[in-house]
Amino acid sequence: MIGPLKRLWDGFRGSGDAAVTVPPMDGALRPNQLLETARLVAAVPSPDDLASDGRSLFVSSGPRILRLVDGVGTVTAEFGAEITALAASPRGRMAAAVASDHLVVTEPDGASTTIARLGDGPTRCITALTFAGEGALLIAQGSSQRAAAGWKRDLMERRSDGAVWRLDLATRQAERLAGGLGWPLGLALDAAGGILVAESWRHRIVALAPGRAPRPVLADLPGYPARLHPDPAGGFWLALFAPRNQLIEFVQREPAFLARMFAEVDEAFWAAPSLRPSATFLEPLQGGAQKHLGMLKPWAPTRSYGLIVRLDDALRPVASYHSRADGMRHGVFTCLPFGGRILAAAKGGDAVVEIDPAADPANGPAAATGAQP
Amino acid sequence: MAASEAWTRWRYRWIPDKLVGEILSKSWIDTLIPGVILAAVLAFFSLKLPGFLSGSNLGDIAQIYGEYLIIIVGITFVMMAGGIDLTVGSTFAFCNLAALLLINSMEMNLALGIPLIMLIGGAIGLINGLLIGYLGMRAFLTTLVMLIIVRAVVDQGLLDYGQTISRGFNASTAWEFMGVGTVFGVPSSLVVAAAIALVGHVVLTRMRFGWHVMAVGGSRRSAYNAGIRVKRTVCLTYMISGLMTGLAATFYAARLTSAGTDVGKGLEVTMLTAAVLGGISLGGGRGSVIKAMLGAVIVLLVQNSLIRMGLTSGTSSLVLGLILLAAVAIDVRWVKNRHKILARAYVSPTYFRLPPLPETAAGSGSPYALNDRLRGVAAIGLGELDGPEDVIFDRDDNLYCGSRHGDIIRFFAPDHRRSEIFAHIGGHPLGLAFDPQGNLLTCVGGMGLYRVSPSGEVTKLSDETNRSLLSIVDDSRLRLADDLDIAPDGRVFFSEATIRYEMYDWMVDALEGRGNGRIICYDPRTGQSRTVLPNLQLPNGICVEPGGQSLLFAETWGCRITRWHFDGPHKGRREVVIDNLPGYPDNINRASDGTFWCALCGMRSPVFDLALRMPDFRRRMVQKVGRDDWLYPNMNTGCVIKFDAAGTILDVLWDLGGEAHPMITSIREHKGHLYLGGIYNNRVGRYHIPGADPAWTSNASYWGDRS
Repeated sequence: MIGPLKRLWDGFRGSGDAAVTVPPMDGALRPNQLLETARLVAAVPSPDDLASDGRSLFVSSGPRILRLVDGVGTVTAEFGAEITALAASPRGRMAAAVASDHLVVTEPDGASTTIARLGDGPTRCITALTFAGEGALLIAQGSSQRAAAGWKRDLMERRSDGAVWRLDLATRQAERLAGGLGWPLGLALDAAGGILVAESWRHRIVALAPGRAPRPVLADLPGYPARLHPDPAGGFWLALFAPRNQLIEFVQREPAFLARMFAEVDEAFWAAPSLRPSATFLEPLQGGAQKHLGMLKPWAPTRSYGLIVRLDDALRPVASYHSRADGMRHGVFTCLPFGGRILAAAKGGDAVVEIDPAADPANGPAAATGAQP
Repeated sequence: MAASEAWTRWRYRWIPDKLVGEILSKSWIDTLIPGVILAAVLAFFSLKLPGFLSGSNLGDIAQIYGEYLIIIVGITFVMMAGGIDLTVGSTFAFCNLAALLLINSMEMNLALGIPLIMLIGGAIGLINGLLIGYLGMRAFLTTLVMLIIVRAVVDQGLLDYGQTISRGFNASTAWEFMGVGTVFGVPSSLVVAAAIALVGHVVLTRMRFGWHVMAVGGSRRSAYNAGIRVKRTVCLTYMISGLMTGLAATFYAARLTSAGTDVGKGLEVTMLTAAVLGGISLGGGRGSVIKAMLGAVIVLLVQNSLIRMGLTSGTSSLVLGLILLAAVAIDVRWVKNRHKILARAYVSPTYFRLPPLPETAAGSGSPYALNDRLRGVAAIGLGELDGPEDVIFDRDDNLYCGSRHGDIIRFFAPDHRRSEIFAHIGGHPLGLAFDPQGNLLTCVGGMGLYRVSPSGEVTKLSDETNRSLLSIVDDSRLRLADDLDIAPDGRVFFSEATIRYEMYDWMVDALEGRGNGRIICYDPRTGQSRTVLPNLQLPNGICVEPGGQSLLFAETWGCRITRWHFDGPHKGRREVVIDNLPGYPDNINRASDGTFWCALCGMRSPVFDLALRMPDFRRRMVQKVGRDDWLYPNMNTGCVIKFDAAGTILDVLWDLGGEAHPMITSIREHKGHLYLGGIYNNRVGRYHIPGADPAWTSNASYWGDRS
C-alpha cells in the first residue's frame, strides 16, 4: 500500500525515484582539463579494456588484443567478434571475453580454453574480468538477457539483470556471487580480499559479501562508473564512461517516449549517454549546448564526457581527471596503473593516454609547469 | 499508436492549455484571490443570514464602507511604498474629537473646518513621515508608538472637552448632509470615497508620484539609484494617509456625533487586514486601489455579519485576527511562488507532426547531401562582431550588419576591414532592407520596425499592430520583429517570430510547436501596421518575389517555405513552396540568377521530431528538467540552400562540424559572393559563388540601377 502511494507522491514532488537531479561535480570531482591534455601514449581505435601481467600492457580494440610497447601496438590475438573485457594474471595467464558469447583463457604457453556456459546460461555480456589469484576468475556480467552491444537500451530502461560470477579455472565451476545488479561494469579486490563492483546503472560501487545484499560503498556518482583497478600504492582508479544528465534521467522515466524512441529512432541518435562527442546534427541537442560566438562551452550539458577518479582505500574520491563537453577524450572505460604509470583508454577518443597523478588541476600537467611539490 | 496520436492531436487542438500561463502572467491575476474570497464571503453569509443582501442592510454597510474606503486609499499609498501605518486608529479618534469640537460645538464653517481637520490628520502623518522617511526609523515601531501617544492625547482631550462636545449641536444642512445625506440613494461619504479612490487609482497607476511610490516599494535601492527622492516619497505617503484619515473621521463625526473612548479602536488592525486581504503586499510594490477596495468590502461584510449573527465583540475580533493571519500567509506564499508557478505553466507545448526527415547523408543522392563547401570561407569582423543576424550592402558596396549591443555596424568597401558604428538603436537589429531612397529599414528584436537614414538618423516606424480580439497576451505590442522586405509600392512586410516570448527566449518557442508568430504589413502612407497573416510557426525570412505581387516566407519551426500573394490576380492566395526541409529555415533572399537563397539556422533531429509529436512529454520536461538541459532543435549546424520559384532544391552549402558558421541565420548575395550571418556568431562569412554574376547586387534587383 505504501509503495504506490510513495510513488505517486514522489512523482508529484519529483523526489525519490522520480528525481531527475544529478549530483554536481564538486570537491574532488571539480572539473579540470587534465585528461584532455594528458600525454598521448598510442592512437588506438576504440580502446576498451586494459590489462597487464606486470611486464606487458595489453589493450583490447574491437576484435583484437594489442600489446603496447613504447606507443606501438602489436596484435597478439584476434577473435571473431568484439572483445568486451580483458584480464591478465601475474603469471601470464590471459582471459578475454568475446561478444559472441564465450570466454577464452589463454595460458602463457599459448594453450587456450573456451568457456561457453556460465551457470545455466551462455557466457553472455561479460563486461569485466579480474583474476582472484591464479586459479579463479571473477566475472562481471552486465546482463543475462542482453548482449554487451545493447548497453544503451539497457541503460535507458534502467534494468538490473547483471550478475557477478566466480569461475574456478581448474574445475570450470561457476558460482554466482551476486545477481540483480544494474549492469556491473567494474570489478576489483580490496586489500582484505573483498570484492568491489561498479554497478553502473545505479551510479555506485558496492561491496559484495557472502549471504548479504550488496552494500553501497560509494554512491551518487555524477557519471556511469566503468572499470575499477587497485593502485599498488593504495587506493583505486575508477573510470566513468559517460556523465549523468538531467534530460537523460528524465527520458528514462518516460516509458511512452522511450518505447517510441526505441521503435522509431536509430540508436545512434537517441537521447541517451554516448561515448563520443556529438558529430552529427541528427543527435539531440540541449539548450545549454548551443554554440555561442562559434564556441561550445566546456560546461555545456553533454551526453559524453571523459572522467577518471582516484579513490582512496576507503573508496572516497580524492582527485579527478576530466575531458569536458568541448573535449575529445570521452568514453573512458578503463584506467590502469602499469609499472608506476597511470594509463587510461578513451574509447570515444580513440586514444590510450597517460595520466599524471601529480598534475595540478589549476595549471595542467606538472611536467609542463615544473611545479613539482 | 495511431489512435492515441489522433487523440493527442485533437486534444491539443481544442483545449487551449496556453491560456493558463498567459492568465497567470497578467499582473491583475493578484486580484483573483480577493475576488474569490469575496465571492465565498457573499455566498456564505447570504445563506446564513436572511436579508443579508437586502437594501437596508447594504445601505448601512455602504455608509461605513465610504469611511473605510477613504482611509484605506491612504493606507494603500503607505503600503505600496513599503511602509505600514498603525497610527490610523488614534488619528481617526483624534480627528473625530477635533471635528466634534470645531464643527459641531464651535460651529465652524465646513469649508474651513474640513480642510483644517484633514490638516490635523496630515500633521500626525507628517510626524510619522519625518521619523520614518527622513530619520529612517522602523515604520512598525514608529507608528505603533504614535498610536499610543495620540491615543493618550485623545483620552486627555475627552476628559477636558467631553462636556463641551456633548452639549454642542451644529444644525447646518451641509453638516447633516455629510452625516446622513445621500446622492441617488448612495451615502454622501461613499460618493466622496469613490471620487478619492478614482483619483488614487489614477495617481498610483498613471502619474509620476504614484510610479515613484511603486518604485520605492518595489526596490528602495533601485529607486534611489534611479534618482527618485526616496525619503520624500516615503514621508509624503504617511501624510496622505493622515489627510485621508482626517477626512474619514469628519464623516464619522457628522454621522454619529459621538466622542466615546472606543472610537477608532482596532481600526488599524481592520485596515491592515483589509489591505493584505485585498492583496497589497506587506513587502511593498505590489497592489492597487482596486485590491484595497475589495479587501475593505470583505472585512466590512465579515465584521458586520458577525455582529448580526450575535457574536460577542471579542469573538468578532478573533475571527478578524484569524483572517489577517490567513491573508498574510497567502500573501507571503503567493508572492514567493507565483513566478515559480508561472515558469512551470507558461511553456505550453502542443502537437505538431513534421513529414519524415529527408535524407542528408553524403553520397546519398539527396539534394541535401552533406558537403564541405563552406569550410574555410573568409571571415569579416572576426571577433569584433557579436550577433550579426542579417547582412546587407548599400549602393557603394559598404556592408551593414546588426549586433547584440544594439548597434548597426558599417564595414567600409572595398575590403570590409575598417568598421564604424553606423547607428545605435538600442535593441538587437535582426532583418535589414534598403528602401529606394537609401534608407536602411530594420526589424529590432523587442522594439519593432525602425528606419535609419543614410546619415545614421534613427526613426521608429512601428512598434504596434492591431490587437486581436481573443488574445490574452497583449499582442498589439511587437515583441520580436524578425525579418522584413519592401514591396514596390513601399509597403513593408515583416515577420514577428512569436508573440509569446521575448527576444532571448525565442528558442523556447520551438518547444511549443504552435503558430505563435505572424506577418505584419506596415503601410508608410498611413503609418499604420496591421497583421496580415496570423498563427505562423516562427515566421522568419521574408522575400518579395521579383514580380512584386507575392512574397516568400519561411516558417522556422514548420520547416516550410510558403508563397503568399499580397497583390495581383491571386491576391490572398497562399501556397506551400517547400513543405519538408531537413532543417529550420531562416532568412530568404534573392539570388543573381532569379532564384532564391535560404539559410537553415539549424537542423532537425529525429528525437526532437518525435518529441514534437508528444506534447505531454515536452510539458513534463519543461517542468522537471532545468532550463539549460531542455531538448532543443539542433542549432549547432546550419547550411544554405538555393531553390527556384517552384521549390526545387538547386544547391546546398554545408559547414560540417559548424566550426566557422554553426548557425547560419542569413545570406546575402552581392557581386558574386555570398555573405553569411549568424545571430550567435562572431563574424560574417564571405563565400565565392562559382559562376555567379559578378555585377549583380540586391539593390539593383529591387530598385533598378542607380540613374
